[in-house]
Amino acid sequence: MKLGWIAVAVATVAVFGESPGALSITVQDAQSQVAAADSVYGCVLCHADKRRAFIEGIHSERGIGCHDCHGGDPASLEAVTAHSGTYIGTPDKLATVELCGSCHSDPDRMRQYGLQVGQVAEFRTSRHGQLLLGERNTDAPTCTNCHDAHTILTPDNARSNVHPTNIPGTCAGCHQDESLMAKYGLSTDQFELYRASAHGVGLFERQNFAAPSCVGCHGSHAAMPPQVSEIANVCGQCHVLVRRAFDAGPHGAADRAGNLPGCTACHSNHETERVPPDTIAETCVECHDAESRAAQLGVEAEELIVAAQNDLQAADEAIEELVVAGWQVGDLQFRYQTALTDYLQIAEFQHSLDVEQLEDLGRRVGSISRDIRATAEVSAEQRWEHKLLLVPVWFLTLSAIVLGWFKLRSLKE
Amino acid sequence: MASLINRTRDVLSRWRRRFRDDLKASTDASFLTMPRFFGLLYGPIDRSLPIDQALRKALAYRLPAHVGWRHALGGVAYLLFMVMVVTGVLLSLHYRPSSEEAYGSIQHIVTGVTFGWLVRDVHVWSATLIVIVVLAHMARVFFDGAYKPPRETSWLIGLMLLFVVLAFGATGYLLPWDQWAYWTVTEVLNTIAVLPLLGGVIVTALTGDAFVSGATLSRFFALHVIILPWIAFALLIFHFRMIRTQGVAPPRGKAKSETEGHSFFPHHLLRSFLVSVVVLAIVISLATLFPRPLAAPASPVEPPGELVSTWVVVDVSLALIRFFGPWGFALFTLLGLSMAFIPLFDRHPERRHRPVTAVGVVFFVGFAILWLVGHQLRFAGPDVGAPTATEIAEPAQSGLP
Repeated sequence: MKLGWIAVAVATVAVFGESPGALSITVQDAQSQVAAADSVYGCVLCHADKRRAFIEGIHSERGIGCHDCHGGDPASLEAVTAHSGTYIGTPDKLATVELCGSCHSDPDRMRQYGLQVGQVAEFRTSRHGQLLLGERNTDAPTCTNCHDAHTILTPDNARSNVHPTNIPGTCAGCHQDESLMAKYGLSTDQFELYRASAHGVGLFERQNFAAPSCVGCHGSHAAMPPQVSEIANVCGQCHVLVRRAFDAGPHGAADRAGNLPGCTACHSNHETERVPPDTIAETCVECHDAESRAAQLGVEAEELIVAAQNDLQAADEAIEELVVAGWQVGDLQFRYQTALTDYLQIAEFQHSLDVEQLEDLGRRVGSISRDIRATAEVSAEQRWEHKLLLVPVWFLTLSAIVLGWFKLRSLKE
Repeated sequence: MASLINRTRDVLSRWRRRFRDDLKASTDASFLTMPRFFGLLYGPIDRSLPIDQALRKALAYRLPAHVGWRHALGGVAYLLFMVMVVTGVLLSLHYRPSSEEAYGSIQHIVTGVTFGWLVRDVHVWSATLIVIVVLAHMARVFFDGAYKPPRETSWLIGLMLLFVVLAFGATGYLLPWDQWAYWTVTEVLNTIAVLPLLGGVIVTALTGDAFVSGATLSRFFALHVIILPWIAFALLIFHFRMIRTQGVAPPRGKAKSETEGHSFFPHHLLRSFLVSVVVLAIVISLATLFPRPLAAPASPVEPPGELVSTWVVVDVSLALIRFFGPWGFALFTLLGLSMAFIPLFDRHPERRHRPVTAVGVVFFVGFAILWLVGHQLRFAGPDVGAPTATEIAEPAQSGLP
């Protein structure tokens, strides 16, 4: 018995000796509480590695212990007696859902943490849940595959598997497994495509957490590929104005009639391809006949948008030119922002294919751009006038050189 | 009473006599003709302080026969220095040394002040030309062997003046407080900070904050317009005094100048005048044709896409930092500083010391090459370590630990 106590103390020291130092004060407080409890907590004697992983997570911080999930007698320091009674060992995938749900579906327990309780119900509706709970297919993930079994971290922790920047990697852990995905006829290139997409660049490069990761479109616990008829709704959750314009136009009607795969018809899905303004007409003829009215509409829209884009670019360059020349450009930058807003509205309203509206917005962009360029021209004229100063300067200089040269020669003679 | 009248009459007659002598002397052609003719005070002053005599002596000073056009480089450097003093004073009337107002005041100088653009760009271009001219002057002195005893002190003071000129440029570079100035200074200070021993201390003293901020701008401004000018004038006076005392160095390989050449006035003064006129015309032309561009206002949180260099030393520094790292920058600086010890190794007036020549060649040619290379490059913005999407690691295997 005495040896057992020494072992507990040694194990505690060993585990704490390796624990990372950069933890928040709250976690450190929790750790010290757990350490105090360790002296009478038998599980850590043999499962020091599990304890090390567990103590970093939120469950440890909330005072949950091994026996709360695994059962058994933590007060026992002998393996046989510790693994007796309510002990369930390592729960399988199905039992894990039930085990997690026993707390996380209980509103009385979750209320204090402000957590939703619908995860298990949502999971049941997901493709993962259908496979696991409905078909007893253990290829499907359970709670611990995404959240980890022991180091359960909150989503705002950058080390968490479900932190926004880690979610694509977590999903890819299975969805990049070719042998696993081949069984279900799924491709494995989603992560690569997403990483290069506008959404991926927004999330990874700009650390813009508003950019959707996998769960933004597919849902998290209720993960499921959107149906064709749902695509516009899914994208429209964020792209509200685009969706409104899309619904108002002929493509919206076609989508509602089930003749168009929503936004993905032009933008694809995981790679969320941009359609550059100068390729709009080209994109239209992928579906429409080149001689059709629809294709002609595409050409008109392309011309308008390209002209507005050029106007905007010219205004931007003019402001840049003025900045370099030392002009104060606060007012012009404000006007440029107005033009930029109009241009962004063009980008949205093009989805309605309302050419008159596009023309109106294009005129406003062009008008502001002309004003800004006119100011830049005034600056350029001033700089040109400055150069005229060189005429008298060099006339006087050359005169001085000639006169001085003659004087030097006469002095030498 | 009678004695008082006599004494007054004596004083008046003595004053009348001196005034008549002064008037007579004013018919003599001299620089001081006009003040002498009009000034009632000048006569008494000149009698107690022999300005006229000193001036005549200076003008009559005969320079050795080998002194030619290439000896004008030192004078050109001084001319450019004075141009920078005058334009600097004019700029200081409008410039506001605070992080909130510095950028706006530069915009005001360039667009709102009459000929402000010219004053600023002449100041900026003089800063580049003075470095080139000082180095050319130094190279001329070096390859003429003019640093040898007894002129080693003059060489040392000249070298100190070079570093003062560089310090002037470095402190002045931040003052526009635009993105290029801010991030160039940040990059150079970051480079110095990693050097052992003095690196961190120097950067902390110069920055006055955890990063380049308004405190740094205040320090750089104080160095630029208060501290460095005093040092520069003191060193200049010392430098000129040494040259006047020891005379111009003899031609290479000779212990003494053999023949006396022309007097300073009018020969050399006329040459100096011609060179000055040409230099001023070049500076004004460069300022007019290639004004110093202004970047966006400095932002400590948003590095620019590229760093555009507007000073020759920045070209050299960034080329050193980007190609050879902090140690390349430090070693080249040490090479420049080591030039101070050259007179200790090369003392014989008639002999060439090859290792010393090699040091000089590496320094001057190295500077020229680095400048040319640096000037051709469009320096990418400072690396702030942000990953790109394609650099994000592959998904880690879930399951800790």
